[in-house]
Amino acid sequence: MMNKKLDMWKILPFPLIVIVLAIAPYFLSVYYLSLLRTVILWVTLSVSWHLFSGLTKYVALGSAAFFGLGLYFTAKVLNYWPVLPFPVVVLLAGLLNFAAALLIGLISLRLRGIYFAIVTFGISEIIRVVFQWWEIRITGTRGTYIPIFFSHQETYYSILITSLAILLLVTFLRKSKFGLALRMIGECEEAAAHAGVNTSIFKTIGFAVSAMCIGLMGASFTTRFTYLDTSIAFDSLYSFLPAVMTLLGGAGTPYGPVLGAVAMSLISEYLSVTYADIFLIILGVVLVAIILFMPNGIMGVVEKLRRAELSGKG
Amino acid sequence: MLDILIGGAISGAIFALISVGLNLQYGVTRILNIAHGDFLMLGAYVTFFFFSSYGVNPLLTLIISGPIVFFLGILIQVTVFRRLVYLSKSAEELEFRSLLACFGLSFIIQNVVRLIFGITPIGSPYLNEAVNIFGETFQLNMIVAAVISIAISVAMYFLLCSTRAGLVMRAAVEEPTGAQIVGINILKVHAVSFGLGAFLSAIAGSMWSMIYSDITPYKGPIFTFIALAIIVLGGMGSFVGSLVGGFLLGYIYYITYKWEPLLYMAVVYIFLLIMLIVRPKGLFGK
Repeated sequence: MMNKKLDMWKILPFPLIVIVLAIAPYFLSVYYLSLLRTVILWVTLSVSWHLFSGLTKYVALGSAAFFGLGLYFTAKVLNYWPVLPFPVVVLLAGLLNFAAALLIGLISLRLRGIYFAIVTFGISEIIRVVFQWWEIRITGTRGTYIPIFFSHQETYYSILITSLAILLLVTFLRKSKFGLALRMIGECEEAAAHAGVNTSIFKTIGFAVSAMCIGLMGASFTTRFTYLDTSIAFDSLYSFLPAVMTLLGGAGTPYGPVLGAVAMSLISEYLSVTYADIFLIILGVVLVAIILFMPNGIMGVVEKLRRAELSGKG
Repeated sequence: MLDILIGGAISGAIFALISVGLNLQYGVTRILNIAHGDFLMLGAYVTFFFFSSYGVNPLLTLIISGPIVFFLGILIQVTVFRRLVYLSKSAEELEFRSLLACFGLSFIIQNVVRLIFGITPIGSPYLNEAVNIFGETFQLNMIVAAVISIAISVAMYFLLCSTRAGLVMRAAVEEPTGAQIVGINILKVHAVSFGLGAFLSAIAGSMWSMIYSDITPYKGPIFTFIALAIIVLGGMGSFVGSLVGGFLLGYIYYITYKWEPLLYMAVVYIFLLIMLIVRPKGLFGK
């Protein structure tokens, strides 16, 4: 009985948050709506990144490739094949990313640690450079226009719906045997293999699902742009920030990536408005300070306080 | 053909110098300094500052830019990485955290330089008259830079192999605990090696800016990845590997740059990937 009550209290906030987010456009100004949209984007990217890299501790730094592929694919389909309904295009972009990540995972997941990070970053850069070369040398045009105009509300809802779907999927996967297998790989890969987990299959599929989520987010984010080029779509910030945000929040905990992404995107927004010229310098200082003084992130600090309180009472 | 043979060797000599610094830092401190290219960019800007404001001979600025960035490197090692080593419980954790810390440092360095100098590409052109070698023409500064790079690399080799300081460094790499037992101050060794890596990088940057006027605050990462490709090719921690890898990549770079300048970075990355997948230890790795 007691347990059930507790569970209710644990679950109750989520529908409330969803309802508030769903009606947000009716009471928020355009500025705050776009801020909220940015926060949702980064939360989803961090959570998607964390599903694979946080659980398995294979630090991937190539999210920009999948985000950019999602954006570019969607923009191109909207241009050349406008009959397809938008949600179908987004789903196709997700599938494309899943396939691309399977391929990249097969190549790169044989490596560990810093080598894996370098390879994933390298692959995302190769994709960016080759796209750029293709545009300049073969098609002779830079970038692509997005032919459909999306209102602020349409942009917001397309991102919100995609994000909720991804968060549900990730939560479900994390609690399933699949998530358990990924976590085991993160704790000790050899032990996981001995316990009968086919580590290469789980790693590759985990990487692909995480990439698919990032690509889906990229695809739905196309609605925000009227023009795209390779330096916008494949910006290496999309590779680094999800990792940084997860670290800020606390890797390995379910709410770490969410907290980190909310905090980081609000800090960045505040700094970029108030101190526009030195914003990036401060961001760098904040990043180094987090690593030096909050090595386990916000969740680490929360945990420490909670323990201090418990031991104080005991 | 001769053009490729000599041009590739010139690029190779400079690349080798860039990678020797990164390799030294990684070999001794086990920290992969992703901000390495930013130290190079910093060196180029120091040269540019003294050249454009006071008219100092760019070649002479090597003795200014090197020490400035050397002390900056030591400062960063002592304030940031020493604490990271202390905080991290495992080698993996240290790798991940230092990667992100380097990313933050690189952000800071790039944007401080941008704030001071703006984003227009800079250079300190010097000795750019043509020289004729066996019928092919090259710029004099390229040859001077290549000769200086080779001289410094050879000097580094002797420093590591036949001086007491080098012996201490090698001891700190091979047997960190044992080195401490026999009285080597390993913290000092780490700081100096990190500074030395930054020093080599800055000198390469100063020379680069004499040849090419294409340095911007955001140019650093390209050099980082070139250096990374070289040390992966040659073997992490292997000095000779760095030299051989530098020349190999110099040729690859020179040939692809002649063929299609837009794709040279893609080729460098592809090479890095193939090497990591086929032989992650590198050509000279143990």
